[in-house]
Amino acid sequence: MEYLEGVLTPEVNAALEAHVAACERCSAFIASYRETPRILRTATVVELPAAIQQSLRAFLRRLQR
Amino acid sequence: MVVPPADSSDETLAARAAAGDDHAFEEIVARYERRVFRLACRLTSETDAPDVLQNTFLQVYRHLPSFRGESLFATWLYRIATNAALMLRRGRTRKPSEPLDAFLPRFDEHGVHADLPAQLLVASRADELLDRQVLAEKARAGIARLPDVYRDAFVLRDLEEMSTTDVAQVLGVEPATVRQRVHRARLMLRGYLSDLVGVKR
Repeated sequence: MEYLEGVLTPEVNAALEAHVAACERCSAFIASYRETPRILRTATVVELPAAIQQSLRAFLRRLQR
Repeated sequence: MVVPPADSSDETLAARAAAGDDHAFEEIVARYERRVFRLACRLTSETDAPDVLQNTFLQVYRHLPSFRGESLFATWLYRIATNAALMLRRGRTRKPSEPLDAFLPRFDEHGVHADLPAQLLVASRADELLDRQVLAEKARAGIARLPDVYRDAFVLRDLEEMSTTDVAQVLGVEPATVRQRVHRARLMLRGYLSDLVGVKR
């Protein structure tokens, strides 16, 4: 995570990048790992049902009196 | 009463709403209700999300006068929504579910990943390999099975795309802790999804 967020020290970052460039497994892992947030984000998008939206409106209208 | 134009900034609307402009408050609700609902579903469940939604905007309504613009309005609102979700979850007894530790990756004695590249790649192709409906269901199930502290950090950082700094503030932990928890959540979920696709571990 530190590597991907760019918060490693320059020396450690350089050493890690050198390793990744040479190591197939680690390259594959990082490439795959980077996709994780997007996949799960897309998979968990939900729409707000109209009925729930209406309940919210009704609830909040009572507040505003 | 003057209706605020559609392109008013959040901060302008907040000020108007705090001064008693109900249309401005309704505009705020219209802008954020979908996002809050989605956040609530990810942190709790679709069953609990409506309550979180109501509690959130109730708190927003009550605390608008004390919003002074020290943060972006959206950040302030998200903090309220997150707290509403966590409060509600705290009030529920969780049925014990099988932890996802079993899905963490293994390393050999040299600290090298023991998973084959093909297995590693499965997780990133889960959206191609699994039916969309199945993936949605399994993603929800997996996230619900994460340890709470990992789930919260992961949902806010990766799904709601808040900055690590903001997540750290909302959750009251150090940024390094946020990164560690997000990382472990990602590893667990990747292992879980790979397993579903039937990749031999």
